Amino acid sequence: MSACDRAIEYIYQYIDDEMTVTRRTRIEWHLKRCASCMDAFTFETQLKERISIAGRTEPSEELFDTLRALIQQERQDPDPDC
Amino acid sequence: MRNPVSGIWYLVSGIWYLVSGIWYLVSGIWYLVSGIWYLVSGIWYLVSGIWYLVSGIRYPVSGIWHLASGILFEMADQVNFEADAMQYAGQLYSAALRMTRNPADAEDVVQETYLKAFRAYGSFEEGTNLKAWLYRILTNTYINKYRKAQRRPQEVELGELQDLYLYKRLGEQSGASRSAEIEALEMFVDDDIVAAIESLPENFRLPVLYADVEGFSYKEIAEILDVPIGTVMSRLHRGRKALQRKLWNVAVDRGIVEPES
Repeated sequence: MSACDRAIEYIYQYIDDEMTVTRRTRIEWHLKRCASCMDAFTFETQLKERISIAGRTEPSEELFDTLRALIQQERQDPDPDC
Repeated sequence: MRNPVSGIWYLVSGIWYLVSGIWYLVSGIWYLVSGIWYLVSGIWYLVSGIWYLVSGIRYPVSGIWHLASGILFEMADQVNFEADAMQYAGQLYSAALRMTRNPADAEDVVQETYLKAFRAYGSFEEGTNLKAWLYRILTNTYINKYRKAQRRPQEVELGELQDLYLYKRLGEQSGASRSAEIEALEMFVDDDIVAAIESLPENFRLPVLYADVEGFSYKEIAEILDVPIGTVMSRLHRGRKALQRKLWNVAVDRGIVEPES
């Protein structure tokens, strides 16, 4: 298994920050010396950022009012079935 | 000449000294045993004394500890529910929308989630992960509501996909030009990415959603979905590859890239 294969194997754990400091250091050591792995890591990192922004949709303001009213109602008159 | 009176005197004295001797011998043994007894007792009371002294110091400390932990790990109070939980409503709605793919259903799921969370709030341990707790209720609410018709959870397999699927496809397009793949990401609009997320089968969509959009750790995702961390990692890995294939297909459909030859 080449150093590149090893780095790519852990690419998501690296991006998600789910690895030990030792392994992270070893991967960063490799990335400094391997432009093609560095490109792949940059690509995956940016894709994750795009997904995190695009995947977020804000609700209407009314939803917050509806939720508050719902809790208020439950507070005053709890459903006996629950 | 011998005096008979002195003989008697010596006899009596002899007996007296003999009895005295026995008496002192017995007394000596008695005092020896007593001495050993008092020595052992003394050591016992000394050790006990130290023990109670230390306990006396220890017990007030643990008393204070129990008092402090009562304050630190207090169960949540329903009075504070809105103040504590309402800040996550936007994020929960967003996740619900990616799950249900429909704004009306998403609002329903979020409303049900908040109602359930409010009712169960007394059993939530304050200071633990409230956001993950709410997502767990959200996930269970969604699954109960939308899987009822199916009865069995949808466990779809995705087939084998190459690592770095999108990166490699885009790389083949750009030929020799370096870092062109990263620039190529710009051609996707947000709707393409949403469509790709929503195209994923549920068992892959939720881990991808929780890791990429919500930023949960693997451990938190494992707790929310109630599966082992290893399962989270493998579903996340395969889910991301499938998402990349979908993005590639979107790019092909929109004529942004040339289909694979």
